[in-house]
Amino acid sequence: MATRTDGPARGAQLGRFERVPWRRVILLLLAILIAAVAVIGAYKTLTLPADERYTASTWKDFIVLGIAQGAIIALIALGYTLVYGILRMINFAHGEVFMFGAFAAYFFSSAWEESGFLDSNPWLSMAILFAIAMLVSMTVAILLERIAYRPLRNAPRLVPLITAIGASLVLQNTARGFFGAQSRGFGVPAALEGTWTIFGLELDRIQVLVIITVVLAVAGLSLFVARTKTGKSMRAVAADTEIASLMGIRVDRVIVTTFAIGGLLAGIAAILFSITFESVNFTMGVRPGIAAFTAAVLGGIGSISGAALGGVLLGLLQSLGPALILTGYEIPSAFQLKDAFTFLVLVLVLIFRPGGLLGSDEAEKV
Amino acid sequence: MDGVPTGSVIRSGVIGGLVAIYIALVGLYTKFADLALVGEQVTLGRVLIVAPALITAYAVTRPRVVAGERRAATLRQGLAIGALAGLITGAVFGAAVAFAEWFGVERIREVFVAVTEPLIDFLTFGMGVPAGLLVLAGWCVVGGLVGGFARTAPLALRRPASVGIVAVILFGLLQRIVPIVFVELGYEADWLYSPITKGLTWLGGLFVFALAAGADILWRRSGDGTRDRIRTGVYERPAARIGFLVVLLAVLAVLPLLLGTVISEVLGQVMIYVLLGLGLNIVVGYAGLLDLGYVAFFAFGAYATGLLTGAMLNTTTGAAEPAISADLNFYAAVWIVMLLAAGVGLLIGAPVLRLRGDYLAIVTLGLGEIVSVITASKWAQPLIGGPQGMRGVSKAEIFGLNPQDHPQDFYYLALAFVLFALFVSWRLAASRVGRAWTAMREDEQVADAMGVSTIKYKLLAFAMGGAIGSLGGALFAVSLGSLTPASFEFLVSITALAVVILGGLGSLPGVVVGALVLIGLPGLLREFEEYRQLIYGGALVAIMILRPQGLIPNVRRSRELKEEEVTQDAWARDGTGEIEAVAAVLPGGALGVEEEDLE
Amino acid sequence: MSDTAHLLELEGVQKHFGGLYALSGLDLHVDQGEIVSVIGPNGAGKSTMFNVVTGLYPPDEGDVRFRGDSIVGLAPNRITRLGISRTFQTVHLFANMTVLENAMVGQHCRSRSGVFGSILRLPGTRREEREIRERAQRSLEFFGSRLAGYRQDQPAFVLSYANRRRLEMARALATDPLLVCLDEPTAGMNPRETLELRDHIVRMRDELDLTVLVIEHDMRVVKGVSDRVIALDYGRKIAEGTYEDVANDPQVIEAYLGTKAVG
Repeated sequence: MATRTDGPARGAQLGRFERVPWRRVILLLLAILIAAVAVIGAYKTLTLPADERYTASTWKDFIVLGIAQGAIIALIALGYTLVYGILRMINFAHGEVFMFGAFAAYFFSSAWEESGFLDSNPWLSMAILFAIAMLVSMTVAILLERIAYRPLRNAPRLVPLITAIGASLVLQNTARGFFGAQSRGFGVPAALEGTWTIFGLELDRIQVLVIITVVLAVAGLSLFVARTKTGKSMRAVAADTEIASLMGIRVDRVIVTTFAIGGLLAGIAAILFSITFESVNFTMGVRPGIAAFTAAVLGGIGSISGAALGGVLLGLLQSLGPALILTGYEIPSAFQLKDAFTFLVLVLVLIFRPGGLLGSDEAEKV
Repeated sequence: MDGVPTGSVIRSGVIGGLVAIYIALVGLYTKFADLALVGEQVTLGRVLIVAPALITAYAVTRPRVVAGERRAATLRQGLAIGALAGLITGAVFGAAVAFAEWFGVERIREVFVAVTEPLIDFLTFGMGVPAGLLVLAGWCVVGGLVGGFARTAPLALRRPASVGIVAVILFGLLQRIVPIVFVELGYEADWLYSPITKGLTWLGGLFVFALAAGADILWRRSGDGTRDRIRTGVYERPAARIGFLVVLLAVLAVLPLLLGTVISEVLGQVMIYVLLGLGLNIVVGYAGLLDLGYVAFFAFGAYATGLLTGAMLNTTTGAAEPAISADLNFYAAVWIVMLLAAGVGLLIGAPVLRLRGDYLAIVTLGLGEIVSVITASKWAQPLIGGPQGMRGVSKAEIFGLNPQDHPQDFYYLALAFVLFALFVSWRLAASRVGRAWTAMREDEQVADAMGVSTIKYKLLAFAMGGAIGSLGGALFAVSLGSLTPASFEFLVSITALAVVILGGLGSLPGVVVGALVLIGLPGLLREFEEYRQLIYGGALVAIMILRPQGLIPNVRRSRELKEEEVTQDAWARDGTGEIEAVAAVLPGGALGVEEEDLE
Repeated sequence: MSDTAHLLELEGVQKHFGGLYALSGLDLHVDQGEIVSVIGPNGAGKSTMFNVVTGLYPPDEGDVRFRGDSIVGLAPNRITRLGISRTFQTVHLFANMTVLENAMVGQHCRSRSGVFGSILRLPGTRREEREIRERAQRSLEFFGSRLAGYRQDQPAFVLSYANRRRLEMARALATDPLLVCLDEPTAGMNPRETLELRDHIVRMRDELDLTVLVIEHDMRVVKGVSDRVIALDYGRKIAEGTYEDVANDPQVIEAYLGTKAVG
């Protein structure tokens, strides 16, 4: 049988440049270029003439602001990281879960602002606001899982991602239809305005509240995941869903719990975000959502401490980056490019270290 | 009742009621209360009152698998279940309306802006709370009956009826397009569409219903043989295929003359998104790389066209020359734009090659957003105008056509571009390149091990997708003549994705249909504008859950569905005793939805 | 090409996953025109060895040479083009492509037409497409009528398990290789199919002039096809020689039975 065909190139020889690992060469050049741009920019900024330079206290403000905003991002990032750890799915609509919490709290706070309850009982009202936002965000997260994601549990990876994007649009525009398109001012109790002096540093009261709340929340979550039975089931499902279910863990329940916890944290973040920026609107979840996802990836998605670290780092990058690097190049309105900075970090992390700072690169086996 | 899952009916009815409440709160009733479809009474708003009950009833009367046996409800059961589900829907909905009235519309309105007195009026048919609620519930029961009927009546009855009703609603929605065609053709249209309500007249509604139902009956009657002959004739006989194409082209050529400027303009917008869809289809549909930053190519195409054809920067004091610019003829520039866009595709593609699917999606999203943010920043001012944008893009005049100022001329330009892109996509799909993409999409590692350079073909997909997407951008720039950053946001990427996914990944007719539905319909009905994003999002979720292969699946895949049966027959004849395992469930899972109980 | 006698040569290859050594200093060679079987208990590193040879995993240490040149660090598709082709332990077909298209993908690395040729359907492209189709068909016909005829236009997912395995081999043959690596080709096949496949492996050498490296558990197949047998355990070669030599080697018996051989 004349099956053998001597194809034109049977047993081709290696070409001249085929051994060069082009991808690595390109990535290395890219890394060098970016590092150079950053270092030169920072150098130029710091050596600006004294009257154009930022003062030390401005830098301190940038840093505190960065940490405070990073802390909020970290809380949202935990929602992404928990869900990703368990379902290997990017819950793109998590930013909207956050947004609904903020709206829910807004309606109460604005009513109490009128009645004076907000200023007469600032701590009680804040506590109730937290509870409301957490409850609403949690409900939205659970509904989202039930309606949009559960039917797709075993679908190829990109299917739930596309669904999540769709769900994100639906939730955003639901809020727009429900509550209207305009931004609304979020009232802050008078007790939270102004500054406190701590260790000789004059700090915004809200920023202090933000940082303390986030530290408590992250600590609480870590304890929950490490110590409780539910937390242990969550870790088991994250490690191997199938085996966990064989071991008698009710996977569906664990998944719902995970979404619920993500929602609770998003609710806390929603209040902190609202009192920081004093405004809510239906698109408020988009940019924080993407920033939080970036933070989760930066720290190593699936890792709780990674999300916390990533959030704070990203917050610092956002507040310091444009000032430190872009001012040096005399780029006008450098802070307009803050979000581009977020995305650039995201892209670079995924390219150079897809496992994140605290994660490991997961190798897929054939 | 035997075999009637009461619990599930009650649950479904409650869900139907909640859906109706959602529709009310999100403002759809208020928006569409006065959009007449047929006569004065049948408005889109009223259809939306009936719809939740109808859909609930349709869903809850589906055949169930009980103890391994498929059980379809009888017509009597279907109507009974439908009516019950409709009643529950109506009760929940009515209770909500009553609550609103009792609690105080103004107080609710502080939170839910759509809750107004006119809304309550509309939902109670102008009769106020106790009486109107009965009417509301009554209509929900009617919806439930129709839903049950549409599921359980004999096929010969329910099919023509459903087709007829859908056709009436569709023609009602197309109220801005059909009368114009009639008038252009020299016919009277007033008997079909009322000049007062703008919707169909009762006579027109009946006519459309009869026409659609009759066509369906004829189609059924003609028997399987004829149908198959028509189908295979169009698909397989070259002569019939060429004839079909010639007719199609002729229709496309005279269309703008029939439709007038307004609708030609809408079609022009549709075709811009057809181009974006075709480009994205190469990346997502052919190569399987989810690109969420496709707006980058759109923006690049638009701004590059502007810069190459001598557009000026908008400034607070007037116009200024961009830092880089040329004054080329549009038809020369567009080739350069495509070439450059392919280069941008390589640049975007190169660093992300090794990333897994979902990470790749997020990185492309990030890159797209970087483009959007930079486009709108002051930093970009000297080159592309930053927040103020540019104006004075080439009018692309050719053969006496002026696409920028005359929508009909623009239609022809866009059509030429679309045909070009369709041709390229079609040829690529059926080639060695397309085969490599398919293999890569199916299993990247195995394709690599079989000699397909995945790096090369990923880059190629980004380059080709980028080039075609930039064509869309170039057209967009010509159509407006000016560019502002607001046109280049994330929503463009999502819309293009929705177009591709709604039609069916990898399907060229699907892209066209997807763009017609998602861009054309909202374009024809200004009332939809506000709900465009809601519709896109809803479409993405619904398609992924119910029909992931899209409305018009890739021909190859639908053929696969048919061949599954052929195979089994072939094996029966073969007699080798081997059992062919029809194991792999199609990626669509197209058939799975109806059977499973949403438990 | 250099004049070394070996077609494929592994020298001191190490590969570990975390702390687990899948390959620890593996030396092995395959000569032109041989059928070499690799045996060993589960987890001995056989499939890892294939993955290292075909470029899916880079080795941590050591060298892999094909026709005298090192192929370490090359992408899998390059290695395929150089003339090494493979099948997988668990079948990996392109399920939604037709049988013929699956085989045509194999011809990819032996053809060159690109985007412009495809869009314009230049005469050269059409000729090449025809050749690809013919060669793919011939590689399907290697398995007789099992994959040819009406079946070649069916999507791969409707095939029976045995036919899927055959198609995977046909696809590997369609790459016009010098060396085919078959990873447990008879796994899951019934006795009759197994016998048939044994003949196919021999015919690959005799009729197609190929060199075959095969991982196999079925000792009848190993006995029937092998010019040489190599036994692995713990990522190391523990015995090598004719089937009889290896089958009677005390270390091999120990590896399989887990007890010290008597004697």
